[in-house]
Amino acid sequence: MSARRIVIALALSAMALMLAGCGGGGAVRPDEAQSSGPTAALSGMSMGGFNLGSAIGVAKGAQEAFGEVSEPQEIEMGRSIAAGLLGAAPLQKNAAEQRYVNNVGLWLAQFSGRPDLPWHFGIIEAPTVNAFATPGGNIFVTRGLMLRIHSESELAGVLAHEMGHVVKKHHLNDIRKNAKKGLVLDLASLKGGGGLGGEAARAVARVGLEGYVRGLSREDEMEADAIGVVIAARAGYEPYGLVSVLQTLQTVPQSDASMALFLKTHPSPADRLSALERKMPSSFEALAKPNPALSRYNQTFKPPGK
Amino acid sequence: MNMRFIDRKICGRIGLALVAALSPLLSTAEPAVTVRQVELRTTPASDAKSVATLPAQSSVDLVQRQGAWVQLKSGKNTGWAKLFDIRLGAAGSGSGTAGKQGSGNSLSETLNLASGNRGASVTTGVRGLDADMLSKAVPNPQEYAALVGYTSTKEQSQSFAKAGKLAPRTVEFLK
Repeated sequence: MSARRIVIALALSAMALMLAGCGGGGAVRPDEAQSSGPTAALSGMSMGGFNLGSAIGVAKGAQEAFGEVSEPQEIEMGRSIAAGLLGAAPLQKNAAEQRYVNNVGLWLAQFSGRPDLPWHFGIIEAPTVNAFATPGGNIFVTRGLMLRIHSESELAGVLAHEMGHVVKKHHLNDIRKNAKKGLVLDLASLKGGGGLGGEAARAVARVGLEGYVRGLSREDEMEADAIGVVIAARAGYEPYGLVSVLQTLQTVPQSDASMALFLKTHPSPADRLSALERKMPSSFEALAKPNPALSRYNQTFKPPGK
Repeated sequence: MNMRFIDRKICGRIGLALVAALSPLLSTAEPAVTVRQVELRTTPASDAKSVATLPAQSSVDLVQRQGAWVQLKSGKNTGWAKLFDIRLGAAGSGSGTAGKQGSGNSLSETLNLASGNRGASVTTGVRGLDADMLSKAVPNPQEYAALVGYTSTKEQSQSFAKAGKLAPRTVEFLK
């Protein structure tokens, strides 16, 4: 255990004692204690005879570095990971495009099952083809992917797929499974003085970004596809936008460097298309009437050279 | 942008701005391949009259997309098929055809790239957001604040949806 971790662990133990004190007075219910206190990750760890795990609601699961995460904690984690992604590649500097993506995204979010998360959407300045979701509702699309998107329905399909990951907490569960044992996620200090520039935010971002390099499971990706087409359809978009994007990505040669990480971390577009064809019922065809109002997309996202 | 499919007289009438808005819908001519035997139909409907029957692996041009349907051109025949009946790209190209590599040619791949994205500026071989950059990144609070600054309110997104004629629908999650 590094010196820093010991310091954080000691801080946690002090906070846990305080929480335990509150609990003893009957003022704080266990769920409140969990949402306002440190989430962290000292599974089964005991310090000075005081079991942190039981005091702060940490899971004892052998495979999980830390346990249940409340929604406020999930949101705090997401902020750190989103800031981390933006540390790797900044936002594209085009306010009209960023606002457009946020309008589409927030509209979709109303049909996601988690409408009240603090949803944020951004285009990041990277030529690679990819999209990312963080726990808590931050969703990013790379400029490289935007260049291969033809329409608002296709954009909606991509955003809704990412929303599927958030709704099903795929990344959150991935982090819980894969974070190294003994890792300390001091979420309380994320909210406090440290902020996004602090050590705790760095540690959370590091774990989250590792997840984007590793990729989610094939099952998670397929599930997000299936949820995404339904969210898009519920929001009034034709449900085949994601299908069109996957067909476009299928045309890019495997050797194309801009596709390397995407192909490494996702099932092949061909497999995803086969699964969607199997799952999407013929009744969806009636939800796909032409909508000329959506030609507005081409005014904001102008094809280069026009 | 290819304008072959736009009637010149219509162009004159509806004006350049509208053409600019609609031309991506009208003039998308991308190479594609049928993945099964396909009936080309007169309209985008399963009960529409068949124009022609194309065998699997036929090379076609995708003229336009319309929801679950695509309009295809094959020689002299033009008609509608299901989106899932085709794979974009010329025969043998792309990332989804492992095992069939090598039959594509550089010309068709050039065409795919030119039509498969919004422009010719997609870069190949340029370092983007890769594993190394993700692993080394540290949070950027200023950029996160900028992200939050672009957030829509629910009211804004509702107005946006209304302008786009997007009406909520009840749709069950898929099995």
